[in-house]
Amino acid sequence: MISSEFYESYRNRHQLAEGWKRRGRKLVGYFCSLTPEELIYAAGFIPVRIRGTAENISLADAHLPSFCCSYMRGALDQALKGWYGYLDGMVFPKTCDMTRDLYSIWKRNLPLPYYWFLPLPGRGTDEAVEFTVHELGLFRESLEDFSENRIEDESLDRAIRIYNQNRSLVREVYELGKRESPPLTGSDVFAVEIAGLVMPKEEHSAMVRNLLSGLPEGSNSGRSGPRLMVTGNNFESIELLETIEDCGGRIVINDLDTGSRYYGAGVAEDREPMRAIAERYLREVRCPCKHPAESRLERILGLAQSYRVKGVVMVVQKYCDTHLYDRPWIESRLREEGLPVLSIEHSDTGWTSGRFRTMAQAFIEMLE
Amino acid sequence: MNSRQDKQTDKERAGRLTASAELSTLNEKYYRDLASAKVEGRPVVWLTSLAPIEIVYAFDSIPFFPENYAALCSSRKVASELCQAAESRGYSQDLCAYARCMFGSIFEKRGAFGDQGPPSPDVLLATEGACTTHIKWWEALQRHFKCPLVIIDVAYTVDSESLAAHHKAYLAAQLREMTLLMEKHTGRKLDMAKLREVISLADRASLLWDEIDDLRKAVPTPVSQIDVFTCLFPLVTLRGMPEAVDFYEELRDEVKERVNKGIGFVPDERFRLIWDLFPIYHNMKLLNYFAEFGAAFVTDLYGNAFSGRLNPSDPFGSLAERYLSFFNRSASWGKAEMYKKRVRDYSVDGIVFHSNRSCRFCTAYQREVGHILKEELGLPSLMFEADMVDPRGFDAVDVKDRIQSFIEMLEARKYPKIEKMQ
Repeated sequence: MISSEFYESYRNRHQLAEGWKRRGRKLVGYFCSLTPEELIYAAGFIPVRIRGTAENISLADAHLPSFCCSYMRGALDQALKGWYGYLDGMVFPKTCDMTRDLYSIWKRNLPLPYYWFLPLPGRGTDEAVEFTVHELGLFRESLEDFSENRIEDESLDRAIRIYNQNRSLVREVYELGKRESPPLTGSDVFAVEIAGLVMPKEEHSAMVRNLLSGLPEGSNSGRSGPRLMVTGNNFESIELLETIEDCGGRIVINDLDTGSRYYGAGVAEDREPMRAIAERYLREVRCPCKHPAESRLERILGLAQSYRVKGVVMVVQKYCDTHLYDRPWIESRLREEGLPVLSIEHSDTGWTSGRFRTMAQAFIEMLE
Repeated sequence: MNSRQDKQTDKERAGRLTASAELSTLNEKYYRDLASAKVEGRPVVWLTSLAPIEIVYAFDSIPFFPENYAALCSSRKVASELCQAAESRGYSQDLCAYARCMFGSIFEKRGAFGDQGPPSPDVLLATEGACTTHIKWWEALQRHFKCPLVIIDVAYTVDSESLAAHHKAYLAAQLREMTLLMEKHTGRKLDMAKLREVISLADRASLLWDEIDDLRKAVPTPVSQIDVFTCLFPLVTLRGMPEAVDFYEELRDEVKERVNKGIGFVPDERFRLIWDLFPIYHNMKLLNYFAEFGAAFVTDLYGNAFSGRLNPSDPFGSLAERYLSFFNRSASWGKAEMYKKRVRDYSVDGIVFHSNRSCRFCTAYQREVGHILKEELGLPSLMFEADMVDPRGFDAVDVKDRIQSFIEMLEARKYPKIEKMQ
């Protein structure tokens, strides 16, 4: 794997975080691509995305029913087991119904010096932006109180630039997917993406620059096989993508919560920063929690076209209501566009099983 | 002592409320009005629960709640086939059964009464005041019916302290926007006098509901939980109509009379319980199974979700406040506080959590609330899994066994001496 350095950083994320903590840094955990990390970063904290795995969930069952998504259950379970012991605070944005319930469970059971719930609107109207500017002001004040430092506009501008740079570097990685035979696999790109969720952006950007400059001009992998897009929400296991690619599929782009939805368009740098942040997070991150849903479909269809994909793998976490309501419609719209869909409802386990391999193989053979 | 020995027969229990007979009349009239809406030229508005029905009535439109309708389908035993029809079109079996049941009814053109189902919507109205699921469901309805969809965003608040002026302003602005959209989509102008009248009547019905809720504090408690759930229909669907006020006046008087005469739903009331949260529409009689052991449900938060005072002199402001103060919008500790107060005020012995597979949002907090009530009040709880609408997979025998064990535990706690004597 070309990006094994990224994957190692991701796998060692807790040790890395503990290292920063020992060096005197403070870390703030957050959920979801809708958290305006720029503010956390500008306040001097390292934002760390909370991830979850369905493996060996035990402690979470005392707090959540079994019919909740494995992401939320897994994340809570790991936190209760102390894996996130290095966190100084937590931020929960309003996204899906589960996030808001999880906020109160997390806060009551895992006491930390700082907690914040950010009530983000579901619409992207001008009134919604006004409301969000107000809420971001309260969020900013709370971070200032916690850090005992003012967040100067210059720090915020700097945070915006650093985040935008990081997004545009990762989008350069995506651009490679447009080549006839992309030099990076979908699993490589996934490793690049998830590493960026759990480390300071300037470090991640340096790694991405290195990766890009190490690739020979116009390099190609020489691999063939049907060009695929992966769409959906959230999964922990890179094995999902590796299995698809082992079976001969070539993942050239994704529309995932930890992928291109996160690394999408930046915050406008020529505007009042708080307003620019509000607009970016309300209007650019096309998560199904955001209304109207059509803009998410347009984005998916646009990606499918510009990356010349021949099929779509739709990966939706079991019990994820917002995705599951959209799924029948998005599937049928993709099929209408001539794109076959492999639809998977999962609990983030079993990606190396023979059953999943057979499904992936059959889908790829059908496309060839 | 075996709790079974306390079993009472149905005959000994106070009967259904006389006022509840009036319900069928109101129900039939509502469904007649709904069926003739298209002929009468009244716009049909399909709305989510906790959407501002007051504004819908102010436009002389007829509101239709798919959730109520799915509940009706469930009690009329057609829900599972309708849910399956939705599943065969790709809707996951894990989605809200209200939604699945309604999708099935639309796809199959089959209703609760062996008919073709409700008239199609002229306007779809959804609010995020209860859940995000509502928005997703209504988006899907819009794709099917291709009619206008009005969305009202109710930014979430975790506790009353975080409920600030800008929340109210954002919601009130959207309610005004909604009236402009309703004018556009129905071709009617908003009559402010009518809106004030509707709001005043909705307020009156809410006040009466709160009075009835208060009367349930009496020992023995005067009404059954089944009566409480079924008597919610006017508060939800006829909210703002004069007949709802008339109905609740009659109901309040009847309940008051029972209290004055010391008539209880369970004559020899031994245990007082809270039901959280959704009814089980396909098995409402499970609630009465508790009565066989002398246990009565004395309060709940579900009904109060549909109450809420309003001020006719500030229609939009007071509507915004009401819809922001829906109890389920507070964090687990906020809900626990509400229950703690009720445990004291209603002399409660235990709480029963219906872990409703249809509603992640309304079940994910339950364990926490149970932990808090246990830690702070030592309140015992029972939790079992079911689905409010979809009967498939419900194991009534197992649930009844667990209810019996729960009652035995309550018995040992509350009446330890009697146990020793036997």
